[in-house]
Amino acid sequence: MKQHKKGLALWLAVVALLLAGSIFAGYHGRTETVQEAMRDAVLHNVNQIQFLGGKAVNPGLVSAFLVTAVLLLAALLLRIFVIPKFRLAPGKFQLALETVVGLFDNMAKTNSPHRNGFLGAYIFMAGAYIFVGTLFELLGLQAVTIGGHPITLPAPLSDVNAAIGLGVLSYLVILSGGIAGNGVKGIGKALKEFSLPISMSFRLFGALLSGLLVTELVYYFVNLSFILPVVVGVLFTLLHAIIQTYVLTMLTALYYGEVSEQEHKEKAKPEKG
Amino acid sequence: MQIPLNIDWQQILLHWLNLAILTGGLYFLLFKPVKQFMEKREAHYREMEEQAAGKLQEAERIQESYQQKLDQAGEEIHAARQKAQLAVQQSAEEQLAQAQKQAKQIVAQARAQAEHAKEQAMKESQRELKKLATEAAEKIAFRPDEDPFDQFLNLAEGGGAHEVR
Repeated sequence: MKQHKKGLALWLAVVALLLAGSIFAGYHGRTETVQEAMRDAVLHNVNQIQFLGGKAVNPGLVSAFLVTAVLLLAALLLRIFVIPKFRLAPGKFQLALETVVGLFDNMAKTNSPHRNGFLGAYIFMAGAYIFVGTLFELLGLQAVTIGGHPITLPAPLSDVNAAIGLGVLSYLVILSGGIAGNGVKGIGKALKEFSLPISMSFRLFGALLSGLLVTELVYYFVNLSFILPVVVGVLFTLLHAIIQTYVLTMLTALYYGEVSEQEHKEKAKPEKG
Repeated sequence: MQIPLNIDWQQILLHWLNLAILTGGLYFLLFKPVKQFMEKREAHYREMEEQAAGKLQEAERIQESYQQKLDQAGEEIHAARQKAQLAVQQSAEEQLAQAQKQAKQIVAQARAQAEHAKEQAMKESQRELKKLATEAAEKIAFRPDEDPFDQFLNLAEGGGAHEVR
């Protein structure tokens, strides 16, 4: 009990010291105003990063490749070390993996019962990408811009190009489902939903950008950097990671199922007379 | 031409490249093997369930066959019991009929014996009566000092004179 109290006091002292230190530490001034920071978070026309020593790209693209690398590395490790040891009676970790795969597979099967092989794989990828990509901003990985300033790598989908890329790709997947299921009629069916690529792209962009802007705003002022980030950073990020994952995958599966469903011609009933 | 929001087609294509790599990688490294394992397990449990269902069906078939045999045996027992009862009843009736027949024979025999004994007795008594009558007649007839006719008459009148004498 006495040791417990000592530990608590020590922790409080460390927190108080860090708080005092951060408040009274010398502030060297900002290189950009809050307006510039917010504007750049949306347009990415100032803080760009050189991609593989070549073209200057938005930080979101670098984040996207990093997220892919992290996901593929994790998948490779799971494939080598975990999946071969799968048992008929699953353990907790195996159960979690099976639940995630089963979730997207069942979503594909439920929404598109006729044709769902590729859809399952696609929404699994999209779900993993959106979820991990959104949580990626919590890591706060640093990069150096072409102007030589340090920058925190944002969530990939807070970049409009990434959001358009995923939104349009999802639409193309839906279109491919229509063609595979109904041929030329399927194209017509998919084209009827012409607003879908725009709505899916900008829904993702808007949701992720709003998170980014709030985080930018909070971190812009040092005094707001205590306790508040726990709520706006971690909880909000977690929440919209889950929501956006669910929304995009569900919409893609739903529209895919709708356009790939084969039409059955009703036989003309013989008239009684 | 400046595209609003700094949309860059090249970067969009790079994002597509990234997503294509991710889709293929995740499919072959994670999605497919896990799904295959789940399908394999499902097939394993389905097979077990089918085997169990097959065994259950076999057990039901055996039970039905034994039940049929049991029912058949019951019917056979019932038939045998009926047959035995019939045989016993028939035997009892035969014995009863025989007994009745014997009884009738015994009664008839007894009646015949009784009739014969009665006839014998009658004959014997008649013979004795005849003998007695003969002796009596001889006694009467062989009184030397009296006239036989008178003796007879005296006897017929009551025997008073004879008594007086």
